[in-house]
Amino acid sequence: MARQRGNLQDIWSAFMNGPKLRTTRSRYGPDCRCPTPSVQQWQVTYGQPGMYHRLGVHLMRNNSSKPIHSVRRFYFLEYFYILLKSVEKYKDKNKVFDSFKILKKQHRLGESKYKSLVVEDENLSKTQLDRYRYTFEQVIDEAKDYRLVREPALGKLALGEPGRRLLRRYEENGLLEFNQSLCKLMESKYEAFRYIIELLYKMNESKSGLIFFPVYSPRQLGFDRSQIRTTADITDYAARLVTQLEADIQKYLGQEKYLGKENAKILAKLIESGLLKKERKSEFSQEKYNVIIKRFRDFWITYFLQDVYSYKYSLTSFDIWTYRAKQIGIIQATEFFPNFYGRIIYPTSVVVESTSSTDFKSLYRYPDGKRLYAHEPNVEQNQDKFIDCLVNGYFDLRGRYMSYFINLSALRELVCYNMKISEHFFERFLEHVYRLNLAGELKIGISLEVDRLPEETTAMYLKQEPVTIDGRKRNIIAIDVTKDRLHEPTIEKALTLWTA
Amino acid sequence: MNRLLRKPSRSGLREAPGKFEKFGLVENPFPSEPVVNKDSTDRRINGDIYEIEIRRKEYEQIERNFLKQPQLDPNHLRLGFIIDTSYIGRGNGKSAFLINLQNGINEEYCLDISDGENKCFAVYVTPEPGGRTKTFPSFVDLIFESIVRSNLLDISVAILLIDAIREVYPNIELDDDEDLLIENLSSRAWYSTKEMDLSRLFTSIYANEFLQDLPPEFPLFLGRGSLLIDLVKSAHFKSYYAQLRKGKDRLEFVFSHLIRLFQAAGFNGAYLLVDDFERIPTFQSARQKTDFALELRSCLFDGLYLNSRLGFYNFFLVLHAGVPRMIAEAWQESGMENRCPISPSVESRHIIPFEKLSKDHASLLLQTYLAAYKIEGSGSNQLFPFTTEAVSAIGESSEYNAAKILKTSYDLLEQAAIEDGVVEISESFVDENRGRHETAADKAVRTIDNAPAMDLLKKAQE
Repeated sequence: MARQRGNLQDIWSAFMNGPKLRTTRSRYGPDCRCPTPSVQQWQVTYGQPGMYHRLGVHLMRNNSSKPIHSVRRFYFLEYFYILLKSVEKYKDKNKVFDSFKILKKQHRLGESKYKSLVVEDENLSKTQLDRYRYTFEQVIDEAKDYRLVREPALGKLALGEPGRRLLRRYEENGLLEFNQSLCKLMESKYEAFRYIIELLYKMNESKSGLIFFPVYSPRQLGFDRSQIRTTADITDYAARLVTQLEADIQKYLGQEKYLGKENAKILAKLIESGLLKKERKSEFSQEKYNVIIKRFRDFWITYFLQDVYSYKYSLTSFDIWTYRAKQIGIIQATEFFPNFYGRIIYPTSVVVESTSSTDFKSLYRYPDGKRLYAHEPNVEQNQDKFIDCLVNGYFDLRGRYMSYFINLSALRELVCYNMKISEHFFERFLEHVYRLNLAGELKIGISLEVDRLPEETTAMYLKQEPVTIDGRKRNIIAIDVTKDRLHEPTIEKALTLWTA
Repeated sequence: MNRLLRKPSRSGLREAPGKFEKFGLVENPFPSEPVVNKDSTDRRINGDIYEIEIRRKEYEQIERNFLKQPQLDPNHLRLGFIIDTSYIGRGNGKSAFLINLQNGINEEYCLDISDGENKCFAVYVTPEPGGRTKTFPSFVDLIFESIVRSNLLDISVAILLIDAIREVYPNIELDDDEDLLIENLSSRAWYSTKEMDLSRLFTSIYANEFLQDLPPEFPLFLGRGSLLIDLVKSAHFKSYYAQLRKGKDRLEFVFSHLIRLFQAAGFNGAYLLVDDFERIPTFQSARQKTDFALELRSCLFDGLYLNSRLGFYNFFLVLHAGVPRMIAEAWQESGMENRCPISPSVESRHIIPFEKLSKDHASLLLQTYLAAYKIEGSGSNQLFPFTTEAVSAIGESSEYNAAKILKTSYDLLEQAAIEDGVVEISESFVDENRGRHETAADKAVRTIDNAPAMDLLKKAQE
C-alpha cells in the first residue's frame, strides 16, 4: 500500500509548515520538506556562496567550525545509533544502507512512536528509497564530522574510535546518555544549543525563556469555513488574526506591536500569487482554502521567529535544533500545552559558568568557561515538589466539567513547564511516585490507565510522545487526595481554584 | 409601638414567579454535577431520568443474546463485555445504563423479558476506585456485599416462606403490597397474629429439593433442631460470611451454596453488572491479573463450583476502551481467551460496543430531562426552551459526551433564568454564554500566561 501520511518529521514540522506542503525535495533533500516561505528565507539566508559577508550576516559563532544553519537535515538523534550499529556489522556501504533501513523501521524513526504511520510494501518505491538514501547520506556526513565513522575506501565504511565509544554508551547507558554524548559533539562544532538557549532567555526574561508561536485557524477565531468564500472574508479573518496576535504579544511578552503593515504584506502576496483576487467580492477557489490558511500560518510563524524573537537563521534549522535539543532534554517544545493554540518552547537547561545545585548535570564546557547544564532534579529529593505540581495540574485540568480521569499528556505539559523538566524526567518522576503509590506510601492515590490508545483515535495524538510507565503506555490519570492532605496549603489552593 | 405590631412600609409580595417558570419548568431539570449516584434521592443523578431510546441498540443486543436465552441451556453466554468505543469515555452514560438495566431486569425478575423462560435477578457491582480490589477473593466479597445490599437474601427467604405458608396454611390471605408482605414475613408478631407455627413453616422450607446438599451451618438452617426458630435475615448471612475464611470457603459459599438458596426461591439465574471493571486490573501486577482471570474461569466455566456447572451467574463487565488490551495477556494465559475472547477478530455476541452519542441522542436526552420537570400544560414543544440549533451547538461543544451535555444545559438554563428578556435558549445564546463560561473556566484552568513555573536561571545561580 502506498504511503498514507507524512512521517513524524513532517508532522513535527507541520506546525511550521502546515498540512500538505508543496515541497522542493530535489533541492533540500527528500527527508526534509521546506515550505515556500522558507525557500525564500533559505535564499536570503543561504543564498550564493560568499553572499553572507556582503549581507553582513554573522553565520559563524565564536570559534565553532560550523554555521548553525548548516545542520544536516534530520531530526532524530537515534539515526546516529542505527548508522553506527549498521557500520559495526557491515563494511560495504550498500549493506550498511540495507541494515539502516531495517533498523529505521524497528526504531520507528520518522514514525509515530505509537504506531507506524506508513503502511509499506515489502519493496520501497523509488521515491521512498531516495528519501531514505538522502537521510542516510546526511547522517553519514554528520557522523564523519564527529569522526564517528570514516570512509576508508570508496563504498566502504568503518567505525571510528569515538563511534565505538558512543555505541557502547547507548548499549550500556541508554538513549538519553547517548543523546547527551552527541550533544557534546554537536556543541563542539555548532554551539547551536547555546545560541538558542541564550536567545530564549533573552527573549523572555520574565517567563524564564518561554517563547510561543500562536496559531489560530479561522474556526478558532469564530469563523465558519463554509462562510469563507471571498477575498473580503479572508481579509476579515486576517484582521481578526492580527488583533489576536497583537493581543498575544502584549499578553505573553509585554510588547506592543502593530502588525497592520505585515498583514498588508501577506494579503498582497496572496493576491500576487493568484490565490486571491483583488476585488473584495470575488470568490476564490475553495480547493485553495487550505493553501491560503497555511500561507498565513507560515507567514506569521516566520515573523515571530525572525522579527519578534530575532532568530537569525532559517525556520528549518530552528526546527531541527529544537527537536534535537528536546531529545537531549535541554529544551522543551510542545504543541499541546493546554488552553493555548500553537507551539511553546522553553529551556530545561541553563548556560552558566557554574552552579552549586545538584539538580543540574553538566553536559558541555564552552571555550569561554561557561557550561551547558541540563536540569535533572534528583527524583527522591524532589518527589514532594513533583507531587504538588501533579496534584495542582490535575485539579487545573479537571476543571468543572471533567470526570475523574484526565488526559495524561496534558498534565505532563503542565508539570514539565512548572518544574522545567524534560518529558523523560517527567516519566522518571511519575514512575517513582506511582510505585510509591502502589506500595501505599503516598498520601494521594494515583490511578494510571490505558483508555483508548491514541493509535486508535485521531491523527492529532500521533504527534505526541507516549507516556510509558512500568513498561506500558498510559494516557489517562486520576488522582485521589486523601482527607488529611486536603488542608495542606498547596492542595487547598488547588481545590479552591477548582471549585471557584 | 410594640415591635410585634409594627409593619413594614410595604407589605410582602403575595406571589412571585418561580425561577424557571418562564420556561414552563418546575426547577432546573439538569444536574449540576452529572455523576451517577444510584443511592441518591435526587432523580437527576440517581439514574431515574433515563431515555431508553438513546441506548436502544445496546439494550436490544443484551436482551437478544442474554436475557431471552434460556438459562437452563448450559451453553448460554455467561460473560459479556460492555466496551466503550470512545476515548475518555467517562460520562457517556454507562452507569446510568447499567442501573436501568438492573431495574428493568428486577422489575419482573426477567420473567416478562424472557416470556416466562427465566426468573433472574440483577445486581450492580462496582469496585472502589482506590485499588483495594486486587484479588479475585476480594472481588467475590464485593459481589456478596452487592447481593446483600440489593436485599436479595431477604427476598429469597421471603419467597421460601410464602411458598411454605401456601403449602402449610393454604387459607391464609397474603398482602398484595410486596413491601408490606416482606416486612410482615420478617416479623414474629405477624405469625402469632395469623396463628402460624414457624417451625412447621421451616420444616416445609427445609424439605425443598435444592436445599438438601447444603452444609448444616448454612445460615438458613439457623433454628433447625432448636425449640425457638429464629427468622433468618440477611444480617445472619453477613455474619456467617464474615467468619468464613477468605478464599476457597467464601468462593464455595457464593458460587455454590447461595445458588442453592436462590434456586430454592425459584430463581434460575442472575446477572452481575460490574461497572468500572478497569479499577481492578489497573492496580494489579501481571501475576495478579493472570490469577484473577484463572479464578474467574474456574468459577464461571471449569471449576467444581455449582456455578461453573450450571452457569447461574452471568457477568457483564463494563470496560473503558483500551482496557481489553490491559488484560489481554492475562486472558490469553488463563485460557479465558478461548472461552470468552476479549478482543475477537470478528463481531461477537458477547461484546456490546457502547457508542458515542449522536446529535439526535443529545436532543432526546434534553427532552427526557425537560419532560420530567415540566409544569403541566406548559406547551407541546418538548425541547422548549432550547431551540434545535442550540441543542446541536451544545452537543458539539460537549463533544457529544452525555455528562458534559447535561452540565452545559444546566449552566445555560441557570444563566437564562436570571437574564431578563431571555425567553428561549437559542444558538446565539449558547455561543455567547459558552464563551463567557470558558472565560470563567480559564480563570480556574491555568493558561501558559499564569501557569506557575520555576525560574531555572535563578535556581542555577542560588
